[in-house]
Amino acid sequence: MLEIKNLRVSYGHDVVLNGIDLKLKTGETVAIVGESGTGKTTLGLSIMRLVEGTVRGVIRFNGKDLLTLSDNEMQQIRWSQIAMAFQNANNVLNPVHTVLNQVMEPMIEHRLKSKEEARNRATELLGYFGFPRERFSNYPHQLSGGEQQRVLLAMALADDPELLILDEPLSSLDAAARGEVGNLLKEIDKHGAKLVATHDLDTASKLADRIAVLYGGKIIEAGPTQDVLSRPRHPYTRALIRAYPNMTTVKDLQGIKGRMTHSVSGCPFHPRCTQAIDTCQTKVPQLVWNQGRHIACHRGGIITLLSTRNLTKSFGSLKAVDSVNLYIEAGETLALVGQTGSGKTTLAKTIMGLHPPTEGTVYLEDARVDKRRKDFYKRVQMVFQNPGESLSHRLSVLEAVMEPLDIQGVGTKKERRKKAIQVVGEVELPQTKDFLNKYPHHLSGGEMQRVAIARALVLDPNLLIADEPTAFLDASLQAKILKLLLNLQEQRGLSMLYITHNIAAARKVSDRMAVMLNGKIIEEGSSNEIVATPKQAYTRDLLRAASTLHSTESSSIE
Amino acid sequence: MHIDLKKEIKESGPGKAGLIILLLMIVMALLAPILAPYDPYQQSTASLLPPSWQHWLGMNHVGQDIWSQLVYGARTSLMVGFGVGIFSTLLGTIFGVSAALVGGIYEKVVMRIIDAFIVIPMVIIVILISAYIRPSIATLILLLSFLSWQGGARVMRAQTLSLKERANVAAARSFGANHFYIAWRHIIPDLGPILLVDFIHGVRRAIFMEAGLAFLGISDPTVISWGMMMRDALSFSYLNVWQWWLVPAGVALSLTIIGLTFISHAAEPVIEPRLRGVGIA
Amino acid sequence: MLSKRNVITYAIAFLFILLLNFLLPRMMPGDPFMAIYGDEALIAMTPELKANLVERFALDESLWHQIGAYFLALFQGELGYSYYYNAPVLSVILGRLPWTLLLVGTSLVLSTMLGIILGIESGWRRGSKTDRTMLAGLMSLNGFPDFFLGMLLLIAFGVTWGIFPLAGALTPYSGLSGLALILDVLKHLFLPVAAMTLAHLASGYMLTRNTMITVLKEPYMLTAKAKGLSQRVLKYRHAGRNSMLPVVTRTGIRVGRIVTGALFVELVFAYPGVGFLIYEALLARDYPIIQGVFLIVAISVLAANFLIDLSYPKLDPRVSYAY
Repeated sequence: MLEIKNLRVSYGHDVVLNGIDLKLKTGETVAIVGESGTGKTTLGLSIMRLVEGTVRGVIRFNGKDLLTLSDNEMQQIRWSQIAMAFQNANNVLNPVHTVLNQVMEPMIEHRLKSKEEARNRATELLGYFGFPRERFSNYPHQLSGGEQQRVLLAMALADDPELLILDEPLSSLDAAARGEVGNLLKEIDKHGAKLVATHDLDTASKLADRIAVLYGGKIIEAGPTQDVLSRPRHPYTRALIRAYPNMTTVKDLQGIKGRMTHSVSGCPFHPRCTQAIDTCQTKVPQLVWNQGRHIACHRGGIITLLSTRNLTKSFGSLKAVDSVNLYIEAGETLALVGQTGSGKTTLAKTIMGLHPPTEGTVYLEDARVDKRRKDFYKRVQMVFQNPGESLSHRLSVLEAVMEPLDIQGVGTKKERRKKAIQVVGEVELPQTKDFLNKYPHHLSGGEMQRVAIARALVLDPNLLIADEPTAFLDASLQAKILKLLLNLQEQRGLSMLYITHNIAAARKVSDRMAVMLNGKIIEEGSSNEIVATPKQAYTRDLLRAASTLHSTESSSIE
Repeated sequence: MHIDLKKEIKESGPGKAGLIILLLMIVMALLAPILAPYDPYQQSTASLLPPSWQHWLGMNHVGQDIWSQLVYGARTSLMVGFGVGIFSTLLGTIFGVSAALVGGIYEKVVMRIIDAFIVIPMVIIVILISAYIRPSIATLILLLSFLSWQGGARVMRAQTLSLKERANVAAARSFGANHFYIAWRHIIPDLGPILLVDFIHGVRRAIFMEAGLAFLGISDPTVISWGMMMRDALSFSYLNVWQWWLVPAGVALSLTIIGLTFISHAAEPVIEPRLRGVGIA
Repeated sequence: MLSKRNVITYAIAFLFILLLNFLLPRMMPGDPFMAIYGDEALIAMTPELKANLVERFALDESLWHQIGAYFLALFQGELGYSYYYNAPVLSVILGRLPWTLLLVGTSLVLSTMLGIILGIESGWRRGSKTDRTMLAGLMSLNGFPDFFLGMLLLIAFGVTWGIFPLAGALTPYSGLSGLALILDVLKHLFLPVAAMTLAHLASGYMLTRNTMITVLKEPYMLTAKAKGLSQRVLKYRHAGRNSMLPVVTRTGIRVGRIVTGALFVELVFAYPGVGFLIYEALLARDYPIIQGVFLIVAISVLAANFLIDLSYPKLDPRVSYAY
């Protein structure tokens, strides 16, 4: 019913929408999701031709291109065929007319109903949205935010439009009301189509069949709502979900590094992306259909950074790692959970090349890794369990952190020093001469581990393998290290393989989890799913045995 | 108030036009003795003569030269106008600013008085008083000023109320400054544009009033005034004389007022920035 | 901006007017009796009447007594006696008042309505040529004093083209009635009302136009446009209804201005209202009439203002009813 092709909207030099493609079928609800200022409202307004800037492109509604219609023709269509429930703000309703009159008005003016009929219908609509009858003669300024929202919704439906555009329809409602009104919106008008503009993922998931994510004036990912929300494939979508507090996600909140800026050349997201390559800076990616989803990314969505195929490592007859198939995506954390002796560390070391594999292969961005050359180590680094051992007691802090740079021969000595000092600051350690000259045995456990992490980061790797990084630390330090890792991931776009026996900690830092038992991966999936619905008995055991603060037997792990 | 008032006026078409008109009138008033070939008071037997080379606008009913009267009339209007303008703005500033700064009962009393005066129509009172006392120019200026400072005072007070909350005032107070100092150094300079606009309004109103009172015949009969000229001309509207008697006086008066209106219109965006760019120019 | 004018303000104004009226003649040099009643009175009055009046108004007693007597008489509706017209002041005034009310009322309504409509249309087209022309035109019009406009209209339509009558409110001795009478009144009313309306059009226009410009930027105008409403509805029901509010608030002040304008215009057209009365009284130095008119006019204006203040909350629902 609605087809938008290459819609471009700009105000003077500011380009707000930079080529939007969207299709809407009768009876479906699509949510346009984006943060403030991304142009969601502008999109809605452009469809109604209420935008004051320059609009180019095609907006086809029931076969007619709306942008070519005359003002008169457009006026006929407005509200009667396409209506909009505006975002609830001050003065969106006319302060000198009563609520009832404002809902009745479009019906009368478009000659759809007589005054009596209009009053009845308006009463019906207002009642449907739970607006109290006694307040019908009130004026907008006398209403609460929630009441005003209901009026806006009722008013939008007055002419029974085919296409309903909802701009943040649930934002001014409290949690309980949201559920109620959300259901009302879902039920009403099933023969029409709805476009919901919102920054709120919860609203989108409640109301929409399909979701389109807007960033930098373009749609960067679109697909069925539940699909996209549970398995986002664009780095931005994933980051958005990670930043959104909700009851489903178990991982701690993370932001997105940097800020959205307009007029970025190439892909609008590339300055903040965890996997940007050269093309991303120059060419704008198009929205294409790729495996059940629309995605706009030069790399086809989130790439797989590292994967293993049938990786096996035996020590004699003991299969420490048995046919492991794993993959880690760019910018995500995979937690490898298992008890001591399950083979976790061996697996890590095999991936790193410290043990040659008995069978199977390791792939780095789909390229086979046979010999570990220097380039490999530039991209994959490891933090070992015991910093006291992994840090040579002969080297000072600065020397230890500089060591990888020295080995790789990066830049001049001066540059290496500078870089090392900078990374020391990143792990929240002092950058004073005093500290940099200290030796490991002068440092606390936490400080040593940070130095180890700094050392691992100094080459700016894409993947950090952390093997029980907090095993030798106290709980409070553990928390700090975990937070540090999360921050580093946010800032640098790191991927992480987080190896631990502690499933409670794992779920706080990981997007996905893999459970290892006796060298085999017995269960693997998103952290939310594994924690909520574990499939294997062993996993369930792990969860039950995990640290809780309640001493009851119930296995309700949140 | 970072908008430059002078710039605002100069840049708008009507503002410029208004300024020019006003300047013309001022010149006319100042150079009256030079521009007027005859003594405007001197009567003669040549009454109701049409314009001629000796008498550019002809003669009135008692044989006085109309052009000379017109020129001297400008003096009267402008003197009264500017006199009242200055004095009423002065009073308005004093009371408005002090009310806002001092507050308390003083403010309440002043505001009540101001509101009371605003509701009363000024002209009626002046007529009443003039019925008993024929005011001279000076008395008239005082009288009109006392009855018209209230409007400006209200605006000044409102502005001062917001200005006094600013940091520079707080700083001055912390140095021990008293009300006078704060008013003089911090408030009044920032009120500049509003003062000017209030002044222009005052001038305009006073010129209007003076002409009206002269027209009614209750102003000083020894003073030449455009209003008085129009009053005399009224009795003779049946004859053709209105063309060179009534019209010039009326047009001179109207032009002066229009000029002032245009100037104040150009200055309006200073006070209400949202109106910028939607005026005449 | 609506100021919270409450009853105290009006009370103060009222008192001021009364006191002014009372004090002025008594502050004049010479016999207060002469000052109050004027020269004519002294000639025409009999000694008994004079004694009576002196006693009534306690003119030979202290100031406080006089004030008391004065207020007492006022509340009894006693405004004095005019010797020029040979009738009680109150009846003279009441005879003339209807004409002034007609003039003022019609002009007020017309100038307000026209001003609002023109302001809406102008504001709607802000910046366009129509708007700028109207603005310039009306501002210029505003510069013309109402009596000058009146005179120009009189000369043009009355003297030169003879379309309208030159003076008075009715054709004298015509003995008309019914429709003919009404038409006659209207014919005489036309020019004076035209002069007043034109002179006072600008203030309502400017205010409405300025408000309109601000209102058009408000979010609810976008909402209204989205509702697919016609231009006319947008202009008047949505924008206009909001824009006219300040004008209505200011009507109080405009009443004052129009009433004083009426004084001048009646003079020009020899329209037999209260304004012309005051003019005659000024010439004849009939102080009782002057005072009487002053009182009635001033108090009427106050009352009008007060009523308007009271009714404002009904027009703007955002203003709270609590005063």
